[in-house]
Amino acid sequence: MIQINDLHKRFGNTEVLSGITMHVRRGEVSVLLGPSGGGKSTLLRAINGLETFDRGQIQVGDVVLGPEPGPARDEALRNIRRRVGMVFQQFNLFPHRTALENVIEAPIHVLGKPRDEAIAQARSLLDRVGLAHKLDAMPGNLSGGQQQRVAIARALAMEPEAILFDEPTASLDPRMMAEVVSVITDLVGSGQTMIVVTHAMGFARRVAHSVHVMHAGRVAESGPPQQIFEDPREEVTRQFLTQAKEN
Amino acid sequence: MRATIRWRVVWWAIVAVTAVSGPARGDGLDDVKKRGTLRWGADQEGGGPFVYPRNDDPTKMQGFEVDIAELLAKRLCVKAEFTQGQWEKLPDLLDRGDIDIVLNGYEWTEQWASRYGTSIPYYVYELQFLARQDDSLLMTIEDLRGKPGERRRRIAVLGGSAAELYIEEHFGDAVEIVNFEGPTDAMRAVETANDGVDANLQDLCVVPFYESRFPGLKRLGEPVGLGYYVIFVRQGDTPLLHALNDAIVEALRDGSLRQILQRYKMWNMTQARRGLETNESGEFTGGGLVAISGAEEVTFVAERGWNVIRNRGPLLAKAALITIELSFCAMPLAVLIGLAVALGRLYGPRPLGRVLALYVEVIRGTPLVLQLYVIFFVLPEIGLNIHAFWAAILGLALNYSAYEAEIYRAGLQAIPRGQMEAALALGMSRGLALRRIIVPQATRIVIPPVTNDFIALFKDTAVCSVITVVELSKQYYSHARSTGAILELGLITALLYLAMSYPLSIFTSYMEKRLARERRT
Repeated sequence: MIQINDLHKRFGNTEVLSGITMHVRRGEVSVLLGPSGGGKSTLLRAINGLETFDRGQIQVGDVVLGPEPGPARDEALRNIRRRVGMVFQQFNLFPHRTALENVIEAPIHVLGKPRDEAIAQARSLLDRVGLAHKLDAMPGNLSGGQQQRVAIARALAMEPEAILFDEPTASLDPRMMAEVVSVITDLVGSGQTMIVVTHAMGFARRVAHSVHVMHAGRVAESGPPQQIFEDPREEVTRQFLTQAKEN
Repeated sequence: MRATIRWRVVWWAIVAVTAVSGPARGDGLDDVKKRGTLRWGADQEGGGPFVYPRNDDPTKMQGFEVDIAELLAKRLCVKAEFTQGQWEKLPDLLDRGDIDIVLNGYEWTEQWASRYGTSIPYYVYELQFLARQDDSLLMTIEDLRGKPGERRRRIAVLGGSAAELYIEEHFGDAVEIVNFEGPTDAMRAVETANDGVDANLQDLCVVPFYESRFPGLKRLGEPVGLGYYVIFVRQGDTPLLHALNDAIVEALRDGSLRQILQRYKMWNMTQARRGLETNESGEFTGGGLVAISGAEEVTFVAERGWNVIRNRGPLLAKAALITIELSFCAMPLAVLIGLAVALGRLYGPRPLGRVLALYVEVIRGTPLVLQLYVIFFVLPEIGLNIHAFWAAILGLALNYSAYEAEIYRAGLQAIPRGQMEAALALGMSRGLALRRIIVPQATRIVIPPVTNDFIALFKDTAVCSVITVVELSKQYYSHARSTGAILELGLITALLYLAMSYPLSIFTSYMEKRLARERRT
């Protein structure tokens, strides 16, 4: 469902993505692992256009996104963003709106959904992430874990075909992390396609269908979690896993 | 009479630029007759005996120029219509076509005569030195020069007036010139020895009017200098000029002008020497030195205490309404323009950003008074004639928009990038994201500084008096000067300004508290 072909991107003289090719099938949970600065987040953000790229292409369903700016790219981006949701490390909830308002914002103003329909949907989504009692809370009055769960509900409200998670638990303490992980695990169970950038190894291992280890702008190794974690073939992967264990 | 030299230089410069493209005017006299009114421009702030609010009905004007305007209008078989204007901008009002004549103590000079049609004088003015009664060292004009080694005497004059030129010409560096704005301010400074002021060279015609108010002053020597108060009409407006000249000569001949001048204690030998007065049979009777019997005299009447507050307070409150109207119309406009400019600079294409940056610099880097002047007096030259009130709102809004743009730019930049990214990731367009997500958050941030500017705007509306808008400050100055109740009316004016700004201050601190609560994470 998401096909990435030979993606290149440079920041000045540094090549941050040097020919990434990757395929994510419908219903698949793909986890991106690897040391910081390896290009994981950049790749994720390129998929829904928060980063540009210089060469290659990204295909989501039947929508093809190329590197050249212009109306065709904008149109493709709009299409992709409606199909692909995103959850950020810093949650990025809209602080001037309540939890419920955060969730109904895009369905009403982007999809043109009737307000009461959007509210009913938002209630059930917030219930699903365990926040039925926080509908009218302002983000500033919610804990980090609660904010991230609202952010997930907000992404789900667009009924995305895939969700991109950019280190969703990195800013959370262990207890709050557990809340968020359980919500994401629940989504995995429902067959949601997703790409997850994370440093949380246990979580990665539990939810991933496939793991891609990224290093220096390339995919160093790909495979099922079992193989990556227990029988890594690349030196880069081995080093990374050793370091991760030590931490 | 008044006007600072600095401004005159600027005026002449602007006038020189704009005069080239001056629009064609119709026949002034025809217009006056058709309309049935002679619109004459003057500044009520100048005070007695020229034009000042009446004691019995402060909404109406009195003064010898009011009487002359009425007399002239009557001779033209029309009604006189007073138009308020800032004194030094009266010629500009004439250019704009808002008035038919300027009649307000303007001296004849070659420079003015090259720009406007100047009537024969309705008054021959002289200058009079005034000093403190108890200053025994100042007995003659020559005493002003002082002796070697003594400190230089300080002489108060109206900035840019004939008096200032006289001192410069006749005393040079022997004395020190101190500029004042109003005649009574200068006289008060001498009486109280304020700022070491020793003497005042005053228009002679003003002196008798205020003599009772400043008993501590004495006349120093005989009147000096001599010049003409004339009426200005637009250049080429010959029929109107002839009609005015005829009316003035007629009024001199039949004694009606003398009657007016006598009322204000302004008739003197110098006027009599014009020797134009005749009796009904047309015979010259010897100069009109004899006072016309039974003529009541008008001089300065002080109004103080509760009385003045009761009589003039409502007028100040009414003027405060104008201030409020100006502010409440201008500020929302300024904020909207400012927001648009800030958005254009941050999110628009680069060339637009450059243009908007230039806009901010130009507007912020030039004085409000100049912007108002351009909008009101220069735009008509290219066919854009804007009503004074709307010109004031436009000027204030443009001026403040530059500041609000900078505040909004800071506010928009304070919103974390993740907000825009989250909105885009939800499929919003940039425009929708700005409208729904970014601008509402930035607005919360900018409310305190914008409100702060709003308070400043209330006070800046005072500048609008340069384009004939009479708001609270202008009203205060004219009534304070015409009654002498500087303190009482000053207190009322201050209270009115406070009553406007204090609620806004409360609002600001409320919003600040609310924001602090919202930001807690």
